[in-house]
Amino acid sequence: MRQPARTLALLTLLALGVAGAETVTVGLDADPPRLDPALSSAFVDRQVLNQIFDKLVDLDQNLKVIPALAKSWKISNGGLTYTFTLRPGVKFHDGTPLDANAVKYSLERDLTLEGSARKNELSSVKDVKVIDPLTVQINLKQPYGPLLAVLADRSGMIISPKAAQKEGQDFQNNPVGSGPFEFVSRKRQDNITLQANKAYWDGAPKIDKLVYRPFPEGDVRLANLLSGAVQVITPIDPKDISKLDQNPKFDVLNYPGLGFQGIWFNVTRPPFNNKANRQAVAATIDRDAVAKVVFYNTVKPAAGPFPPGTPAYSANIKVPQANLALAKQKLGGKPLTFTILTTPGTVTTQLAQLYQAMFAQAGINAKIQQVEFGTLLDRADKHDFDALILGWSGRPDPDGNIYDFFVTGGSNNQAGYSNKTVDQLLNKARAQTAMPARVATYNVALGQILNDVPYVWVYHPNNLVGMVKGLSGIKPIPDGIIRFKDADLK
Amino acid sequence: MIQFAIRRLFAALPTLLVVTVLVFGMVQLLPGDPARLLLGEEATPQAVTELRHSLGLDRPVPEQYARWLVNIGQLDFGTSVKDNSSVLGLIADKLPTTIELALFAMLIAALIALPAGMISALHRDSWTDRAFTLFALSGISLPNFFLGILLIYIFSIRLAWIPASGYVPFTQDPAKNLLLLLLPAVTLGVHSAAVLARYLRSSMLETLSQDYVRTAHAKGITRQRVVLKHGLRNALVPVITAFGLQLGGLLGGAVITEQIFSVPGFGRLLVDAVFTRDLPVIQGVVLVSAVAVFLVSFLVDLTYAAVDPRIRYH
Repeated sequence: MRQPARTLALLTLLALGVAGAETVTVGLDADPPRLDPALSSAFVDRQVLNQIFDKLVDLDQNLKVIPALAKSWKISNGGLTYTFTLRPGVKFHDGTPLDANAVKYSLERDLTLEGSARKNELSSVKDVKVIDPLTVQINLKQPYGPLLAVLADRSGMIISPKAAQKEGQDFQNNPVGSGPFEFVSRKRQDNITLQANKAYWDGAPKIDKLVYRPFPEGDVRLANLLSGAVQVITPIDPKDISKLDQNPKFDVLNYPGLGFQGIWFNVTRPPFNNKANRQAVAATIDRDAVAKVVFYNTVKPAAGPFPPGTPAYSANIKVPQANLALAKQKLGGKPLTFTILTTPGTVTTQLAQLYQAMFAQAGINAKIQQVEFGTLLDRADKHDFDALILGWSGRPDPDGNIYDFFVTGGSNNQAGYSNKTVDQLLNKARAQTAMPARVATYNVALGQILNDVPYVWVYHPNNLVGMVKGLSGIKPIPDGIIRFKDADLK
Repeated sequence: MIQFAIRRLFAALPTLLVVTVLVFGMVQLLPGDPARLLLGEEATPQAVTELRHSLGLDRPVPEQYARWLVNIGQLDFGTSVKDNSSVLGLIADKLPTTIELALFAMLIAALIALPAGMISALHRDSWTDRAFTLFALSGISLPNFFLGILLIYIFSIRLAWIPASGYVPFTQDPAKNLLLLLLPAVTLGVHSAAVLARYLRSSMLETLSQDYVRTAHAKGITRQRVVLKHGLRNALVPVITAFGLQLGGLLGGAVITEQIFSVPGFGRLLVDAVFTRDLPVIQGVVLVSAVAVFLVSFLVDLTYAAVDPRIRYH
């Protein structure tokens, strides 16, 4: 009697479990390194962090800043004071209330924690003041237009002060926020498991469990989607898009992103301290061919740092066509030989070889040198290269796609580029708060940069997400981060 | 034999010290700055300097080595740069998975190699022998990643019998654990099976041509008994060496297989650590692998005696 009874109980439990627990498993291209909004420095972290933590504000599909934890906000004092009114009744996953003190704590932690990756983007913050439990004020040293966009990412994520104090350095392994999903467990290189926050202020998510699994190989990621082991993968290799498109069981989300890719020139040493040489190389690039041959048209040819559809994009700046006659004229019959740095990988190799062939058409001789990513970044920092292939994942505010790249001494200014007029314009754009005025300023700066060619923008990558047909409720937000709050699996 | 075992262990100490120097030196030669890589594209120079300091990377290399060695002596392998968890904890967490995978793979290898090698030897130059030779050659030359993807394609995507990836500890769900490890184990085991089958075949052929086998036949002992008792037992001695070497190699071969099947084992830990320049983890994993290979070869030496009493230790 006992055995059948136990089996029956087990079966019932199993059936209940299957019926009640809707799990979505997501395949990522890397194991997210640090699940702490202050320490995170990888794009892939943001996929997970966004479910666990609420931000002060968020972005919609058109990159408009929309309310999240902050119901509303007011910018005063000539752009120096931002006053946020918080949503009442929000609780962290550990049950403690989310109030103005927690906001102050999170922002101050971002600014002071050793190794915080947020210091740079919050450097204009002078102090954070608690006005009352639901009102918090951020005071700036100088006006900083991109602040709201910055608060729509990791800097705006509010963490539980109680948990952060208790866990210390281990907070990244036990993150506690107030988001639609709670952190359950993590097994390195295997999975990160989250469960629905039933008490979420904006209504409980429709799925019960969210599991992230890393698959560094694109083919393996795809195989896991096809076999049903995962329901979503991001990104998909461009070569696999057509396979999924033709399969009636799967959907592909292919939507514009915020980033750019291209080639840096080191302007601090020969041969690229000579502007004509830079212009010559840039003139050989056929962006349409790159998009077609290497990326199966899943990228958009680029004219500058701002992708179409983002606020600072200007249709007046046209994508340049390859112009071999111009390239040869700029060279003036002199030979040009240089080395281009890139990372190993199928796509990067193909891309470098295609560039090499394009340069060669104008008689320019480029050698390809492949080094791994850490070395590439290191050599870029030290300006120890002729040219290198490197891009940027992109930010919703135009400042995040241009400032640090071209301001003198900027942390992403790989070229070593320095131009007083550009510096002034970039700083002016930052200090403005009205977007149209900022965009106008950026475009003047961009005119100068495009003429000086410290960088050639070649393409804007799209966000490529593969998923099973039954999954709904995922909005294509250009920052490429999939929000699972409204996702449902049928 | 106990004396021999103790002597071998002591003799290994200087070797292990050399191994630590090599492991540490090798990691120093890795290009790329861990702090730079960890902080990514958006790092400011100030943040890189801060992190380098907190990781102790700004100290002289001999000092870093001495610190590391002293800590290892106290079984403190340091903490992971990536997420601050203890390296020893990570190794203890991942190693059993890889050992299970390697043993499972060896079991599969033995199950294939023993009959294949024997049948090949007994039916020398027949079509079965040729078929097995073809299998062995394919097994040796087929790259792990190709076989792995092929198995996923057939069994996970086409037939949908076995999930393409995932891992459940044996203690939690034995059946599921074995099911999930089956494809990786086959991928890993086929190569060893092929190598071992070739070894066994030539070793059997040599043994079967010996005088004592002919004598056994002449005495009227059944063919089955001659082959199994007189032939196989003697033929196994060199195969055990090969088996031991294969097991050591499997720990390394697991790197690619674990990557394809997303098995959260030792190999995966190493690949991830190399990609993120997680130096303490790389050092810990490589050191433990070196010790593991040493232990395996040590055990192989000991097993000799059990199989072949002619071998004496002096």
